Amino acid sequence: MALIRDRHGLAALFIMPAVFILIMSLALADSLSGQASLAYVVLNLDDTPVSHALDARLGNVDLLKKSVSPVDEEDARQRVRAGEIAFAVVIPQGFAHQIESNQTPGLRFLADPAVPSMVRNGFRQHVEAVATRVWLTDVLERFGVSKMLPELRQATEHIGSPEIAIEAVSSQGNEAAVAVLPSSVQQTVPAWLIFSMFFVVIPISAVFIGERQRGTLQRLHAQRVPFRLVLAGKFVPFVAVNQIQAVAMVAVGRWLVPLFGGEALTLPGNAAALAALLMLSLAVSVAAVGWALFIASLARSSEQATILGGVGNILMGAIGGIMVPRFVMPASMQAWTQLSPMNWALEGFHQIMLRQGSIADVLPAVCTLGCFGLAALAATAFLNRCTAST
Amino acid sequence: MIRLDNLRYRYRPGVPLALDGVSVSIARGSIHGLLGPNGAGKTTLISLLAGLLVPQEGCIVVDGEPLNDWRAARLNAIALVPQDYAFYPMLTVAENLAFFAGVQGLPRRERQCQCAKALAFSRLETVANQRAGELSGGLRRRLNLAVGLTGEPEILLLDEPTVGVDSQSRRFLLEAVRQFAATGRTVLYTSHYMEEVEAVCTDVSIIDHGKVLLAGSAAEVKCGRTLEQVFMELTGHSLRD
Repeated sequence: MALIRDRHGLAALFIMPAVFILIMSLALADSLSGQASLAYVVLNLDDTPVSHALDARLGNVDLLKKSVSPVDEEDARQRVRAGEIAFAVVIPQGFAHQIESNQTPGLRFLADPAVPSMVRNGFRQHVEAVATRVWLTDVLERFGVSKMLPELRQATEHIGSPEIAIEAVSSQGNEAAVAVLPSSVQQTVPAWLIFSMFFVVIPISAVFIGERQRGTLQRLHAQRVPFRLVLAGKFVPFVAVNQIQAVAMVAVGRWLVPLFGGEALTLPGNAAALAALLMLSLAVSVAAVGWALFIASLARSSEQATILGGVGNILMGAIGGIMVPRFVMPASMQAWTQLSPMNWALEGFHQIMLRQGSIADVLPAVCTLGCFGLAALAATAFLNRCTAST
Repeated sequence: MIRLDNLRYRYRPGVPLALDGVSVSIARGSIHGLLGPNGAGKTTLISLLAGLLVPQEGCIVVDGEPLNDWRAARLNAIALVPQDYAFYPMLTVAENLAFFAGVQGLPRRERQCQCAKALAFSRLETVANQRAGELSGGLRRRLNLAVGLTGEPEILLLDEPTVGVDSQSRRFLLEAVRQFAATGRTVLYTSHYMEEVEAVCTDVSIIDHGKVLLAGSAAEVKCGRTLEQVFMELTGHSLRD
């Protein structure tokens, strides 16, 4: 009976998982049904029957859909940078000649570093298999079944797999930087770091609601302490705590994960990128603490704040590509990711940690997160003004 | 003199008036008891005096000046001691006092001086370094009062300051209130304990349904009876909650 009357408990038990199931099911709908939601392109610089055959045979595969070919390599790079496509397969000039002269042919991938290595390797194997078939077909066609068997054997002995060089496409203006394909640690740490930073909502709401329920806020108001000072008294320390949390999480990826056999998190090596990382981290804290104060002002009890904040964070994480990578989602749902502050933060972290981005590359994320945090603070001030006068 | 003149306040349209034309005069240096059943309008009245709410009709005048103008020149002149333990349980007694003195913008030296005075006044020196959340009920009540004294307010608003304490602590708190008023400062005191109000208050107002039913000096209000008899006669015997 007590549970039936506990609306917050019921919400945690039923509404939160129901919403979570709904969002996760929609997010994974395409990946589980085999429909493609991630795109790749082929740039054929060879323009020979063999390269055209390879181009034609590379169709849709698993999550990857073949998109319209780029005009040139720069166009392909731009599309990778923009997140429009995950890979560009470049068939270099001389590809057919390498096959005809019994050399191992080479291909190049331009890859988005944000795409998980699992997907990248799967696609690479697919391309290898198709290229090998094209290579074999070409050999058989050239020699024909009527040719002498020893010559045919000699030619086919060279057939292995084409050499595929994968190049991570870094941010604009940083092409000179050595683009290293990221490890899974590099891809997962930012996502869970952002997620954990937004959970500052739990301690903030406990403090803020406690103050309101005990009458401490009323006492401060009666003492003519401006609300902006009360707000600053929460905002500044919690942003600092949030930053310490971020440093601790990065330290886990950098030093603890390798102790358990994982790869170490790699931090940007230059001062400008580190400054960009710091700026972004601060912007995430501003957004997370602003959001937490807003939830604490909206909720009437700590239980309510836990539900509102917890569900809100999980929804933002699910929609924002924290739990399910954005590219796995159906196209219609990918548009929703833009609504989640966690997605703005994730895009910013990917720019720095995966694409060697600069301050200019993270500015959009920093600005949107900052504006979100300030809007949440303004709403907090408004809500508390309303509370004071009712 | 604090003069409340024809105060009206309604929390939301459609609900009854919380205060319906309240007019009371509170003499400076007095301990003014504010009595009323639950829902009578006591907390609303205290909230208006503390500046938490703004009167929708009527006005509050202190020493001939509108409350806001009077307070503009005396930021720490009014202190509210809520019924709940309105301090930080994770901080020590001394840290709580320092915090509340600090947010009032007192200079460092004055802040230290006032904290020491509040500690001594409330006899909390021995537990100064103890966390507030670990104190007994009586000590918490004393800390709640001590926090209200840090700005040396001219007007102290006490909302049921003795709820849940033993007789010894109650006696101490009442004596502390008397000592505070003896320095010429004003106390507005709400309580459900009639004997307490009789013991400490110089003036009394009884309100119900947002209206003042009776106001005057304690002797005038009682008129030879006990305060409880007068209170029950005016507010009736029916349950309010």
